[in-house]
This record gives sequence, structure tokens and C-alpha cells, in this order.
Amino acid sequence: YEVTLVMETKEGRSGDTAVEDIETWMDKAFDMAKDALQNGEVPVGCLMVYNSEVVGKGRNEVNETKNATRHAEMVALDELLNWCHSSNLDVSRVSRNTVLYVTVEPCVMCAAALRLLNIPTVVYGCRNERFGGCGSILDVSSADLPQTGNTFKCVSGHRAGEAVEMLKTFYKQENPNGINAYLNLPFISVLLLFLHLSFYFFSPQTKNEEGLIIHDHICRMIVLLLLIKDFFKLHYVT
Amino acid sequence: MSNEEHIGLMEPPPKRWKGPMCVTEDSWVAHPVLSDEESQDIEMIEAFAAPIVDKKETSRLVRELGSIHPLNGLEHLKRVRAVKDKASPHSLEVLLCLVHDAPDTEAPVSIDSLLSSAVSSEGLGQPFVVNVPARAPLTRPQFELVSKQWPTSFHEDKRVTLALKGELFSPEQKARMQSYMMSAVAAAEAGKELGMEAVGAAMVDPSTETVVAVGHDCRADHPLHHAAMVCIDLVARSQGGGCYRFDRYPSCSFTPPDSDVTAQPYICTGYDLYVTREPCLMCAMALVHSRIGRIFYGTGSADGAFGTKYKLHSQKDLNHRFEVYEGVLGRQCEELKK
Ligand SMILES: [Zn+2]
Ligand SMILES: [Zn+2]
Repeated sequence: YEVTLVMETKEGRSGDTAVEDIETWMDKAFDMAKDALQNGEVPVGCLMVYNSEVVGKGRNEVNETKNATRHAEMVALDELLNWCHSSNLDVSRVSRNTVLYVTVEPCVMCAAALRLLNIPTVVYGCRNERFGGCGSILDVSSADLPQTGNTFKCVSGHRAGEAVEMLKTFYKQENPNGINAYLNLPFISVLLLFLHLSFYFFSPQTKNEEGLIIHDHICRMIVLLLLIKDFFKLHYVT
Repeated sequence: MSNEEHIGLMEPPPKRWKGPMCVTEDSWVAHPVLSDEESQDIEMIEAFAAPIVDKKETSRLVRELGSIHPLNGLEHLKRVRAVKDKASPHSLEVLLCLVHDAPDTEAPVSIDSLLSSAVSSEGLGQPFVVNVPARAPLTRPQFELVSKQWPTSFHEDKRVTLALKGELFSPEQKARMQSYMMSAVAAAEAGKELGMEAVGAAMVDPSTETVVAVGHDCRADHPLHHAAMVCIDLVARSQGGGCYRFDRYPSCSFTPPDSDVTAQPYICTGYDLYVTREPCLMCAMALVHSRIGRIFYGTGSADGAFGTKYKLHSQKDLNHRFEVYEGVLGRQCEELKK
């Protein structure tokens, strides 16, 4: 079954998490996401809060580590573990009382990792339509998986629209300096027109058969590039 | 049947486990882990059919029924079937309509009550009820099962057929697969010595037939360092990335970075993972994110995500599909659980 995830603001409290807390910490997570977006990184902000203290923070580190599992949540969980070790606190005691605040629904992998660490509550902004593990693809948060830690509670919807907009902006501007920026229809059309005009008007001496063939080849190559440009787009997303 | 083979009933009972040298490739079978649609029995629904008593009417009947009573959504069904029983007075039978699409009539059903006035019932005998498959079969076993009830079309995937028969991999391939799983088993045993869960994994580049990374469970150090997660990070290190150090574990190793960076795949694209135990949901999704090529595991696990609790590789909305096989060196991997 699918759990409907709504912010339980009417009651004033969401489980053990006060609404004021949610707003404060989610605002901080959104600041992180905005920072990431401005730096051309995946706009996901994520923090782990224990006893009103941030004990873990994360941003997506997939590209620099070449490890596709380095999502913001996994990075934040590592920080939480390090924090426990350095403050000499029992990991399971801390994690059982830690809330994760994240701007986007954790993916299936991160949701399972949160279960394995027995994180009890996850507050997130928008749904993750591609990989979401709190109901979008699978509902890992409430599934019957006795060997995979504890279920956790989800509170969703805080500034969801904003979170989606940031993701959309990111995917649109992705690779702004790359070849894709130039591979659009108006640009190609102007380029082709220019090539044709310059060929026919400014270089009459190349109007032999060989020149014509080369000219045709160049034009065809450009059209081909335009057609296959989507092929280059697929790598390096979240 | 083939299920028993991989548990090891086919080989003489070994007196004592004497190490990997005495294992032969015949003692296990790599079973494909197929989607529910491919592996479950196909739902059957009731339909009315009638014998064609006058064979000369066949083509007219097929034409008229096709346009007036089309079997919408059941395009896989053959309209006419041959009667196998030689003693039968008629040799052909034709599908009329689904029972739930037929007008409510008192039994016995008359042929004219089932057909619209635009179709002449000439040449047809007394209608009867048959079971027909509600959807097209996807595998040969499904096809053979439903064909006993009513003939259907079937677009065979030869690889799946061979895999289901346990004949997809040649003896040479199986020998290689076994050696890869053997290194995963060895890593699992080394990890167990160190107080870890006895799970091991090996990442293999099948195009060069080389082991890129071998690792074992390290969850005594870090609760999320399952064998597959360790292997994924070791592969990242082999590509000049990675974020953990497993150097203190001799059984966690990787092939040093290739000087030719352009030859490196994107993360684990095209790689095969050999893992002794079915991955959990976290590891399974980590492998999806890593764009793994294929997965071979030895034995199932309680919360497993590639067959037991989920079949993540056949999840429609994740746009990365790949093959998963279960049972490679199954008995040895099962042994690790003890
Ligand atoms: Zn994630
Ligand atoms: Zn795992």
C-alpha cells in the first residue's frame, strides 16, 4: 500500500518533532541546497539533528569520488558516525534520537541506509520521482524488512515546490559550458545558413566538385550532431 | 527438477569440505531471477468457443468474428485452434467471445445468443467454455503451459529459454564464473575471521575477464559497509576516486588505476558483480545507481532485493535494467551462513 505523506501541521506537532523545529532545520537544509545550486552542484541540502545540534551534513559527492552511492544522506550519515566516535557516544543511542532533514525525498538506497541505522524520523521537501524510497518508487520507510533495521516516520511537503524548482533549474543548466549549450535548433540553423552563404558568395574558387563534396559533408555532420546530442546528456546526474 | 541441482543433490555427497579444488562446475546452476510477469503463472479467463462443423465456413467466420467480435487486449490469442483428438468429428474450433463480455443467457447457451446478427452462425456447432490466458506468455515454460489450454502467439527470448534450462553459460564460462565466486567466498571467509559477517563480493570486467575489485563485509567498522558497498568504493578507487580506505584488510583489494583514463567505464557500467549472498535493498539500489552490468549471487537472503523481497532489477520505473542470476556456487555460499 502507499502511505500518504502529509505535514501534520494541524496538530502542531509531527511526532516528536515540533513544527518550529521543522521550519528552522528545513530552512537550513534549503540554504545548503541553494548554495549547492549556485556552485553548479546537485541542489540537495541535508542535515542530521541530534539534541538540537547538527551532527551530520552532506552534499552529493558522486562526481568527485566516482562512487555513485555518495548521496548527500550517505555523506551526512558518515558525519554522524564520526561525530559519535569523536564524542565517545554510542552510535545506536544517538541515531535512534536523530532526525534527518533533507530537501528531497531520500532514494531507495538512502532510505534503506537510514533504516539500517535506525533513524526514526525523516523530514523532506519534495518527492523524488525517479528513485524515491519513501513511497515514490518503493516505500522502504514502512516496508516489512526485519533484517533491515527499523521503519521510520516521514514528514513531507515542506517547501516542496521550491525544492522541485531547484532540481529543475539544475538539470536545465547542467553542463552549461559543454557542447550541449550550442546544440540547439536556432544556433545550428544560423550556422548552416552562414556556411551556405559563405560558400556560395564568398569563395567562388572552391566551387569545384571536390569543394562541393566537402561542403556537403560538413553540413551533414552538423545535422547528425544535432540529432545525437541527447546521447551526451545522460551521464553524471544524481 | 533443476532446483534440486543447485542445492547439490546431483553430486555424490562430499564426506568433508576439502576446499575449493574439489568443486566442479556441474554442482551448481545459475538460475535467472526473472520478473514476476515472467516467472509467475499466467492468469486464465473463461471464453466461449465453438466447433467449426463446416470447414468451408472457416475463413468467413474468422474474418467476420475479427471485425464484429474483436478480442480487444487479447491479441496474443489465436482465433482458431486445431483439435488434437483424431476421433473428434470436427477438426477446428473458434473463439467467439469472453464469458464476461457475453450477454446474460440461460444455460445451455445457444450460438445465436452469443453472436451479433451481423455474423452468421452457419457452420458452427454447440458453444462451450474454455480457459484462455489473460496475457501473452513471456517465457517458454509459460508458453507451454498456456498452450495446453488455447494456442497463443509467443515472441521467444532465446537467452531466457536457455537460462531457464541452465544452458546459457558454456562450461568454460561457468569455470570462469566459479573462479570469480570463489574469490568472493575466500574474501567472505577472511572477513569472518576478522569478526565481520561472512559475505564477500568480486567486481569483474567481463570484457577483459579481469577482477577489478574484491571485498568483504566490514560492518564491524561501519554499519553500512556491506560487501557490495565495499566493492563499489574499491571500484571507485580503481578509477582514481573512492572515499574509504580498506588497506588494512588484505582481502579487500582493487586493480590499481588504469593510466589510460579514457578506457575507464562510467562507475560500474558493464561490470559483473559476484556476491556470495543476495544483496539487501541498500546494496541493490547502490548497484542500480552504479549502473552495474549483471549480478550473480550464491544464495538468497531474508530481506534480499533481487528475488526474495523485491526484484529491483525488474522495477519498471527505474530505467536501468540488468540480469540477475542466483545459485553460482550455491552450496559453498550457503555454507558461509553457518
Ligand atoms: Zn540516495
Ligand atoms: Zn547490503
